[in-house]
Amino acid sequence: MNEQLIEQITKMVVEKLQETKGKAENRKSDEAMPVNLFADAPVGQALATEHPDAGPAGAVTFHRTTEHKQPAVPSKVASTGTCHKQDGNKQSDAKETELAELRKKTPARVGVGRAGSRPKTKTWLQFRLDHAAAVDAVYGEVPDELLERLELFQVHSKVADKEEYIRRPDLGRRLSDESKQTVMEKCKKGPTVQIVASNGLSAKAIEENLEDVYLSLEQSLRNLNIDMGTTFYVDKGRVALMDEIGEMLQPDVVVMLIGERPGLVSAESLSAYLCYQPRIGTIEADRMVISNIHKGGIPPVEAGAYLGTVIQKVLKYEASGVSLVNKEG
Amino acid sequence: MSGSSALFTLPNKFDILEIIQVHEIGNDAFTTRGEIPRVCRGVFLFHFPKWGAGVNQFNKRHETIISAGIDIGTSTTKLIISRFSLMNVAGTTHVPRIEIVDKEILYKSPVFRTPLLDASTIDTQGVERIIRSQYAEAGVTPSQIETGAVIITGETATKRNASEMLHHLSHEAGDFLVATAGPDLEGIIAAKGSGAYDYSAKSGKVIANIDIGGGTANMAVYKDKKLLGTCTMHIGGRLIEFENGIVRSISPPIERLLAEQGWRLQIGDRADSSAVQQVTDFMAGSLGRILSKNVTSEDQVLLLGHAPSWLDDVEAVVFSGGVSECMYQHELGQVQVAAYDDIGNQLAAALRQNGRLQTFEWMEPVETVRATVLGAGTQTTEISGATIQVAPHELPLKNIPIYQHDFMFDLQQGLDLFDSAITEAIALYDSTREGQNFALYISNLPYMGFRDIQSLSQAIIRLMEKRPDPSQPIILIIQSDHAKVIGQTLVAMNVQQSVICVDQINVETGDYIDIGKALDSGVVPVVVKTLTFHTS
Repeated sequence: MNEQLIEQITKMVVEKLQETKGKAENRKSDEAMPVNLFADAPVGQALATEHPDAGPAGAVTFHRTTEHKQPAVPSKVASTGTCHKQDGNKQSDAKETELAELRKKTPARVGVGRAGSRPKTKTWLQFRLDHAAAVDAVYGEVPDELLERLELFQVHSKVADKEEYIRRPDLGRRLSDESKQTVMEKCKKGPTVQIVASNGLSAKAIEENLEDVYLSLEQSLRNLNIDMGTTFYVDKGRVALMDEIGEMLQPDVVVMLIGERPGLVSAESLSAYLCYQPRIGTIEADRMVISNIHKGGIPPVEAGAYLGTVIQKVLKYEASGVSLVNKEG
Repeated sequence: MSGSSALFTLPNKFDILEIIQVHEIGNDAFTTRGEIPRVCRGVFLFHFPKWGAGVNQFNKRHETIISAGIDIGTSTTKLIISRFSLMNVAGTTHVPRIEIVDKEILYKSPVFRTPLLDASTIDTQGVERIIRSQYAEAGVTPSQIETGAVIITGETATKRNASEMLHHLSHEAGDFLVATAGPDLEGIIAAKGSGAYDYSAKSGKVIANIDIGGGTANMAVYKDKKLLGTCTMHIGGRLIEFENGIVRSISPPIERLLAEQGWRLQIGDRADSSAVQQVTDFMAGSLGRILSKNVTSEDQVLLLGHAPSWLDDVEAVVFSGGVSECMYQHELGQVQVAAYDDIGNQLAAALRQNGRLQTFEWMEPVETVRATVLGAGTQTTEISGATIQVAPHELPLKNIPIYQHDFMFDLQQGLDLFDSAITEAIALYDSTREGQNFALYISNLPYMGFRDIQSLSQAIIRLMEKRPDPSQPIILIIQSDHAKVIGQTLVAMNVQQSVICVDQINVETGDYIDIGKALDSGVVPVVVKTLTFHTS
């Protein structure tokens, strides 16, 4: 079956469900969060995007991941199944307010209701959608246009394809021979800070956050008068790849901006791993990380600004990770 | 920690052993999203020697600051010294989040009679003497006080030299002591000190805290720690004073009440005359009507300021303040410096007997007469976000008025209205163009990329030049977590002024803010307040 057909059928089913519930459901009341924690847009190679209204957790939203020939019918399905009933029952209203309060406190799927022992159809579809978004994030690619805009050149790890990337973490920790050469040719040797970006397990994380984190970090380092090397992008890299890069370019600090393994809440979370003079054989305890950089976590621009001060501290104490904590006393 | 506790032998060289947090990175389901960072997994144990700083482990450093609370009320003055422990509560892999994790009361003063020179003047020197003697008793010096508040409450706030004395004290009694006043704020602070604020979250009920002191009853209604409304009334112990069983004074609002009701009571009448009973019964009845928002025209005479501003039905009540002490006697057996000879006890009895008040659930306060001072000493300080940009030499800053600019989640629209907002702020706070600085509170920013931050920063630089004295520091309060990047961007754009940019503080136009010196953990203590002096 083609994707278009699947989407059309699902849409019809949900619309039907909606009609039986009555059309006058109020969906505005409970969630007015400025940041939508759930993926509003498709991850991976999106061609066109539709932006439906944000509903509470468990409400289903549709996105198009394929190109449509016809203009899309405005989606009416983003209404909520857990919202206020029209009967004006005060008690259920109070309960709903309470549930809405709880939902606001966590992006987890709480208070979304159930049908018998199973989740409601909408909750289930949302779950499937989030899961699909996670899968798409892993298999997606970072657009060349982004790398060009940031003037980053691209190199590759020893991994051949995504399947191998997942099966062989060790290969993701080494650059291909050809890439090593490119890096040695193009990069400044012995910089104070070397920044490396990699898609890791979420290309979407890089696509959404890299530009803001990078520009903000660059500005922060410039303010602090810290010298920066030539930043580049590694396709299918792993965190410990920084050891080899440290060995090759001899920087004082390596910052690795890498896509995190996607979860069902966010598929676009970025992490910044830092290490003072990483070399082959560096132990994991000497690395440190600022995780959870995405629009529902730490704002990317603020994360970049904060990274600058962390780097300054690492340089001051000439240590990172647990060693830094020990030296700081 | 089940199963693993046997692994630890507990050292005995510390007085207190506390397990603050058992933290396994990666199990932090609500905050860690996505890839589990493989840094280290472990159990962190903290040992706190009784009077020293904590023994540190990893980045869980433990910092303490000393806070003072001073409450100068209609009839009594009291003081409290406490110590706050600050700690990074964010996971190891996250951007730090510094919070006050513990508040320890070091010293509670006895309850003193507020020294007055005459009916309309506070004896400033007398108040200062009390404070100095109590600091000595507690073993602290003013220079050690890093935060806290001095609050002037009830009728005292209407005295001639109230404002002058308040600012004098806030300067003399501590390094960063904040001056506060205002009937609504009194109610709010008392509700936090009495425990009503905490009860509201635990019980989920709509709770009214009624702080009845000598001159006023300050009500604050909370639900789930959210303020629903406030109200202040002329109900208090000292509104009628006695001397040797004879009425010595009757305050003006009570005179008006007597006249309206046609009750006869004069100075020189016997303390047990029936009119006194009628007055206290009326006060209790009126309070009951106000709480259920059933305000009648005859209650207007006791109302100070606005009518009750909450919409929900009050379910439970907590009484605090001096009159509540008459009900609960928490202080029994303690040193009592102040002696009362007024309607306090009769009022307490009338409140207990009132039928309408009995329809509410009554909850006992954790503090009675000291609720306000406890609130002032321990509940007024907030801690800014951990990633901020401040020019250390400009701090502390005191009494900075706030002007709020709401972006309503639309950057372009917000920027379009920015010009007129700044013009309005200048008109509001510095109409005579004398160089009164203000803090700009930027709220409801949309999700912003780096280029958005740049255009916002440019606009800020441009507009801050419009101030009558452009060389003053630029003070920004950002609602969302963006202070560091905006601060850094301003610096990168070679801004001429010093920049103080803090975030994660909620304020609004009309509030005043005091920003303390940066602490070791990089955060600043912040006190938000209103300085309205009411007149009766």
